[in-house]
Amino acid sequence: MCSFIYGNRSDYDGIIRFNDTDIHAYSIDDWCELRRRHLALLPQEMRLFPELTVRENVMLKNRLTDFMSEKEIKDMLDEFGILGKYDVPAAMLSIGQQQRVAIVRAICQPFDFLLLDEPVSHLDRDNNIIAAAMVTRAASSLDASIISTSVGNPLMLDSLAPQHSLTILKL
Amino acid sequence: MVWNLLKKNISVWQIAGYAIANLTGLAIVLAAICFYCDVRSAFDDNDSIVGSDYLIISRPVPLLSVMSAGSQKATTFGEDEIAELRSQPWAGKVGVFQSAAFDVWAYVELGGRRMSTALFFEAIPDEFYDITPENWSFDPSDPIVPIVISKDYLTLYNFGFAASRGYPQLSEDLIKKVPVTVGISGNGRSSRFPARIVGFSSRLNTIAVPQEFLDWANGIYGEADRMSESPSRLIVEVNKPGDPAIEEYFNLHGIEAGGDKAGSSRAIFLTTLITTIVLAVGVIITLLAVFILMLSIYLLIQKSRDKLRDLMLLGYSPSQICRYYFRLVGFVNLGILLLAAAIAAAVSGAWRPALESLGLSGGTLWPSFIAGVVLMALITVFNFITIRRLVTKAAKN
Repeated sequence: MCSFIYGNRSDYDGIIRFNDTDIHAYSIDDWCELRRRHLALLPQEMRLFPELTVRENVMLKNRLTDFMSEKEIKDMLDEFGILGKYDVPAAMLSIGQQQRVAIVRAICQPFDFLLLDEPVSHLDRDNNIIAAAMVTRAASSLDASIISTSVGNPLMLDSLAPQHSLTILKL
Repeated sequence: MVWNLLKKNISVWQIAGYAIANLTGLAIVLAAICFYCDVRSAFDDNDSIVGSDYLIISRPVPLLSVMSAGSQKATTFGEDEIAELRSQPWAGKVGVFQSAAFDVWAYVELGGRRMSTALFFEAIPDEFYDITPENWSFDPSDPIVPIVISKDYLTLYNFGFAASRGYPQLSEDLIKKVPVTVGISGNGRSSRFPARIVGFSSRLNTIAVPQEFLDWANGIYGEADRMSESPSRLIVEVNKPGDPAIEEYFNLHGIEAGGDKAGSSRAIFLTTLITTIVLAVGVIITLLAVFILMLSIYLLIQKSRDKLRDLMLLGYSPSQICRYYFRLVGFVNLGILLLAAAIAAAVSGAWRPALESLGLSGGTLWPSFIAGVVLMALITVFNFITIRRLVTKAAKN
């Protein structure tokens, strides 16, 4: 589903509309603009570039809009406890570490919707909570919505709902 | 960063292979154009060994003509022959050498010596002259006869006669100042006129006077039996100097063309043909090189497809990504162009001494460079369009 919404795949029946426009009609440049400023995605397979460092992977995304400062990025990585890996190539990180980097990268842009495809499948409970808090902060500041999918290990947004006036829909 | 990602899949050997092939092709093309420009000066220059656009034709004198009275006919051109000549596709204007039907003498005082000689006069239409002499007209009330002679006569005098006898050599300007007296007799009348040599022609192998003088003089002094209708020499403007059809026509009709100029038309034709062939070979090599590059780029983009897709998933547009490839190709192409131009210039410098010994001045290198820039620009644009298409296609899949 996330792939369809993000325009990654178009092998579906039916119509998906953004603001009454069928997304089949969108050009490559339209999608480019959407992915920079309106839709943020954390893919299930993360899709980091293994030959680039953590810093380069995140900056690659951030410099499209210069949304976050380098300090803010470092702070988020520090929250996840992986600041020490800042200049390490992504190929040398564990899967859990890669997933945390991917979460940070995903929110280095303005967005109306944040699509998280199994975002914490490789994280323990503590990191799950940290991740939930981080994305919720980001979404609240932008008045945006989060769409998160999982098969068994969900992102723990429930506990944050009252503080941030979140409405949670479970499908 | 993006460049670091993309450059990993670029095969230096493939790019180098393309560069060498394209360099070879382009260098050949530029060198061929250089050569053609250098040699062209031979085609255009009237004084050079390779012919001009005008041929003076006549019929060779047959062995027996010296003996018989009516022999003139064999060496003249009839009206229908002239018309047939005019109708040939390679022939432009055809002019007739009209001769004087009277006797001509000329007297000159030069350095205290008085020299006189029997002479002849001919006239051809003004449009065939390669020079524009001053005062080229004749007024019976103030009769001064302007004369144009062939440059060769002056050369013969200066380097043949004068040199062997120790006489002073004469310049064209000096001769133009020398007063000449011309004596005309015929039809029971005779007269003397002042005359001047007003010009020297590289093209006309004759002693020429204005048509209006000859008409006037023939009217008074011309002897009826010498006023032949048929001219024995013609001047023909040739549109395509190298055309082998010209030689064919002349052989068929027993016509001789003046001087070396006839044989050189073949030289022009061969030179043009060979240059064209070399140029074509160069262009083909260049096109093959471009094909190699297109294959390389296709391979490169296929190998990088996943990376390209991931980049576009992050929000990078195809245009942004293409730019990295554009820079690579643009840089390589510029290098090739500069090197090819340098090679062509070096090669041109190498053959220049040989050409100069043949009397050719050589052309400029600019047409070759401009052609190189245009060709490379076209190739680069084609490269960019292909890259763009391939990257966009990778995005869609």
